[in-house]
Amino acid sequence: MSIIETNELVKYYDDLCAVDHVTLSIDKEVFGLLGPNGSGKTTTVLMLTTLLRPTSGNASICGHDIQKHAERVRSAISYVPQDMAVDIKLTGRENVMFFAKLYGIPSPKDKADEALALMELSERADDLTRTYSGGMRRRLELAQALVHEPSALFLDEPTLGLDVAARKKIWEHIGSLSRRGMSIFVTTHYMDEADRFCDRVGIINRGKIAACGSPEELKTNLMNDIITVRIEGMCQPPDLEGVWYVGRQEDEISFTAENGKEALPALAETLTRNNVKVRAMSLREPTLDDVFLQAVGQQEEPHGFADSKFRMMLRRRR
Amino acid sequence: MRGIITFIQRDFLRWERGRVAVISALIMPAAWLIFVGLALPVQFTGNYLDFITPGILVMTMLSAGLSGGALLMFDKILGFLNKFLALPTPRESILFGKILFITGRGIIQTTIILIIAVIIGASLLQPLQYVMIYIVLFAFGILISSFATTVALYLEDHDSYAAFNTMISMPLFFTSSALMPYDVMPGWLRAIAVLNPLSFAIDAIRDIGYGIIPVLPLATLLGIACFVIVLCSHVFRKVTI
Ligand SMILES: Nc1ncnc2c1ncn2[C@@H]1O[C@H](COP(=O)(O)OP(=O)(O)O)[C@@H](O)[C@H]1O
Ligand SMILES: [Mg+2]
Repeated sequence: MSIIETNELVKYYDDLCAVDHVTLSIDKEVFGLLGPNGSGKTTTVLMLTTLLRPTSGNASICGHDIQKHAERVRSAISYVPQDMAVDIKLTGRENVMFFAKLYGIPSPKDKADEALALMELSERADDLTRTYSGGMRRRLELAQALVHEPSALFLDEPTLGLDVAARKKIWEHIGSLSRRGMSIFVTTHYMDEADRFCDRVGIINRGKIAACGSPEELKTNLMNDIITVRIEGMCQPPDLEGVWYVGRQEDEISFTAENGKEALPALAETLTRNNVKVRAMSLREPTLDDVFLQAVGQQEEPHGFADSKFRMMLRRRR
Repeated sequence: MRGIITFIQRDFLRWERGRVAVISALIMPAAWLIFVGLALPVQFTGNYLDFITPGILVMTMLSAGLSGGALLMFDKILGFLNKFLALPTPRESILFGKILFITGRGIIQTTIILIIAVIIGASLLQPLQYVMIYIVLFAFGILISSFATTVALYLEDHDSYAAFNTMISMPLFFTSSALMPYDVMPGWLRAIAVLNPLSFAIDAIRDIGYGIIPVLPLATLLGIACFVIVLCSHVFRKVTI
């Protein structure tokens, strides 16, 4: 049995379905729940950390049901919420000691020092956290979460609002924790970070899991080369041998092709023949952005291309 | 139990670091004691300072409790509560830790006020009498801090709570038996004052000063306190599903 299992998890806020039949299975790995704002990431995490009751479905952590054995679940997990919450009037060490005591750890002082050292905060441990940078506060929260050596660690948008260097550092720490045998459930809306640092990702959109797998798997399964075309006006995706339509963002449409180099001129020709004004074209390797675009597109528009929607968008932009 | 103590320690540490607030909470009751207790030419009783001191002690506890009510709400708004709720520590210890902290802080403040009162001329009592006074203040503190915490959790918003706080603190004080004996009150005021929970605490402390053991007021106080705690736990459980 996996460490984190969810089975058809559903959460409604009144009429709004924030999480829609989510079924996941997560082992000792870094699992990224990836989706835009409002897609239901936080709601999922709140249910798994026993802070919110699911409308239906169930989930278990280390075999403990999140509703029937909430206390056991809480002994097995740590949770770092999306909005940072550290006591700025306390020092870094006091902040961590406080959690160590709450977890009932036998020697809280040693354990706190260890966690602070792991997060590279030892030197500043006795300064008030008021003086810490955003990245340091995040690492302090990680240290708080680590003192009791949880089996599963839940991080809700741990890199939100941090600069590039701080983000990278947080992800490196996440990676090293995972290598120590912790199962890490992390949410993010940064596709590139999920691509680089997660072992597996689940793409969530409007509460539904649209795709799930390792970034490599998702990218190679779905696509070979990516061709993006910047166009003017609207366009019907052309029907071309070996070229598939992926999706559209603003005035860029993307395609995936078995052989991008050959498809490029053919695509340009066809588009021009269809009276589409092509501004620029480029060929590149697929990213999770493309995976997301395609997965979400399939989910929302089973009949392909919502032309009217883009026409409206364009009209608004003018 | 361990959790409760840890939560209380955290709050005391935070309180002690906010230096200005530690002093400013004492200004108001100290001013009442000095300007009203000493300077006001009133003839209700022999030593008006002795008469008004119980009222000021209860007032100190009242404002400590009401201002402390916002603490748990802030923990909730700032995201601390969610972190605490995801811990294996029993969830109730968050609430009881908070109520005990607010009461404990109030006890420290009333002690300072009590010392000031004795310095400026209130009569010294027997040690046992002080012990009983502290029991009354503690019961009243539990009552008022769980009441304030409940209201704040229910309102969920700092501005509404601040408005509520200013709205009730002065009227509660003036309609109690803090400033004058029942027999000189106008009838309408007496009718309110005998029902005011502040009066129970104030009368109990006065009784102690006269050498009477205040069984009835103290029992009433404890009864109301228990009721409010149950109500508070209920609201707490509701906001933390
Ligand atoms: N307490 C709440 N009450 C009502 N709706 C909510 C509440 N929390 C979140 N939502 C809604 O549920 C959806 C999912 O929110 P959330 O899980 O916070 O998304 P994410 O974390 O991916 O940004 C959003 O549409 C949001 O507006
Ligand atoms: Mg979120």
